[in-house]
Amino acid sequence: MDLTLIVVLVIALALFFDFTNGFHDTANAMATPIATGALKPRTAVALAAVLNLVGAFLSTEVAQTISGGLIRGEGGAVAITPPLVLAGLVGAITWNLVTWLWGIPSSSSHALFGGLIGATIVGTWDVGSIDYSVLLGKIVLPALLSPVVAGLVAYCSTRLAYRITHRNDGLPDGRSGFRYAQIFSSSLVALSHGTNDAQKTMGVITLLLISADLQSAGHPGPQWWVILLCALAIATGTYTGGWRIIRTLGTGLTDVKPAQGFAAETSTAATILASSHLGFALSTTQVASGSVIGSGLGRSDTSVRWGTAGRIALGWLFTLPVAAVVGGATAVIARLGTAGLVIDLVIAVIVIVVVFRINARRRVMADHVAHAEAEVAETAALAIAIARLEPELEAAIEESIERDRAAQDGANRDSEAQEQRPAAGEEQR
Amino acid sequence: MIDWLAFVEVLIASLVGAAVVVSLYALGLRMLAVAGRTPYVPPVAFEEAITVLSPKQVKKEAKQVKKARKRNPYSPAVKRLALIAAYALFSLAGIVVLYGIYLIVPYFH
Repeated sequence: MDLTLIVVLVIALALFFDFTNGFHDTANAMATPIATGALKPRTAVALAAVLNLVGAFLSTEVAQTISGGLIRGEGGAVAITPPLVLAGLVGAITWNLVTWLWGIPSSSSHALFGGLIGATIVGTWDVGSIDYSVLLGKIVLPALLSPVVAGLVAYCSTRLAYRITHRNDGLPDGRSGFRYAQIFSSSLVALSHGTNDAQKTMGVITLLLISADLQSAGHPGPQWWVILLCALAIATGTYTGGWRIIRTLGTGLTDVKPAQGFAAETSTAATILASSHLGFALSTTQVASGSVIGSGLGRSDTSVRWGTAGRIALGWLFTLPVAAVVGGATAVIARLGTAGLVIDLVIAVIVIVVVFRINARRRVMADHVAHAEAEVAETAALAIAIARLEPELEAAIEESIERDRAAQDGANRDSEAQEQRPAAGEEQR
Repeated sequence: MIDWLAFVEVLIASLVGAAVVVSLYALGLRMLAVAGRTPYVPPVAFEEAITVLSPKQVKKEAKQVKKARKRNPYSPAVKRLALIAAYALFSLAGIVVLYGIYLIVPYFH
């Protein structure tokens, strides 16, 4: 296949990953303000989208970590090729969509890194093609430590917020005033998400351009059009909003009150800002989840649902390896050459379509039950009609014609019923 | 060559940053209460809302807050001072946040 065509396809796939990253991570910034009623969902996601767009233009530090550091080649050349980037992206997108369906706030960054690592190892048949000290120091350790750090910070902040506003006389303490603050703190999280996550895709596209010799390896910074496209993709994704994950983060872990939500959001923002200042590509999702748990612990009158927390942690544990395995498998197929690439793309499209279909089906719960009842009624009516007709039928030919017609009627009715289903693609709200 | 110091730096920076912002805002709210202007912000109503208060509950809570504002033991001078302090604290919290943004944008450096 033509190299430019591959590059264009991979950029398209990368932008789609950026889109899934956006809607997967809307929850990080906006789950808590939606949960406490500080913002309406539509307002919240619109705000997050705009700030993600702005944030994407602010800094390119993390993008350069990805395009300049992680995957090393012989003699300074980059070992990764466009088909391998494609394989890595397929792994990342698959895991992102599946976890979204389960409502697990998993790390989009880990999915991306996992996919790329798996694809690179398989593609080069060389376990040494990954710089493990970078992997450990810049990805694995931050992943383990960042939720703990964020949780600790959120715990302290929540204690502070409650202690300072506490009243001994039992009169209203004005803590609902934290709702206003939440608008700003969640905006800050959305902004820092933009400075962090949009850059991961920028880094990947830049990596791709370097590997295709369209950009010099000496300048690992992203081009302006790459920044623009990534910013738009993540903003669109954010606006689409992953309601399933918002629900998990906003209500699944602990009951969020305004003071606590503000403390959690501020902690998330502070942790992300501090670490992106130092060039860590850490996971916004893990930081946000850690903060929500920490803030729940900081309140004396509530509890943390550790079952949900455990489920989320399990999701994190699997993120990197599963994405790596999918990425690796895709890379194996990609080794077949052009045919392999086509197969990979077809598989990717099938995965995307299937996940969105499952999502649409679960969305129309109430309608779905009604629909099933109508189907049963239709079949019964059809059977009665056929039974009535049968005695009148003399010739076998006529009978078969009737059956065909009846079957066709049934098919028509089925398709009509399908059209009546609400349009797929939107989530259950 | 894992940079442990960097992790400690992140921990301390985020701990201090978050604590300062949260404390400033919370103190601001406290000062508002002292000034006899305890805020009341009901949750926004929307379909599938997670925090739901009926209009009746909102009315009741707003009334309680109003009552609390009236039962304020401080003199008018103290109240005025507290109000100024409250706005100063809110502004300070805002400035700290803006400084945080300033820090992460390479364009400014």
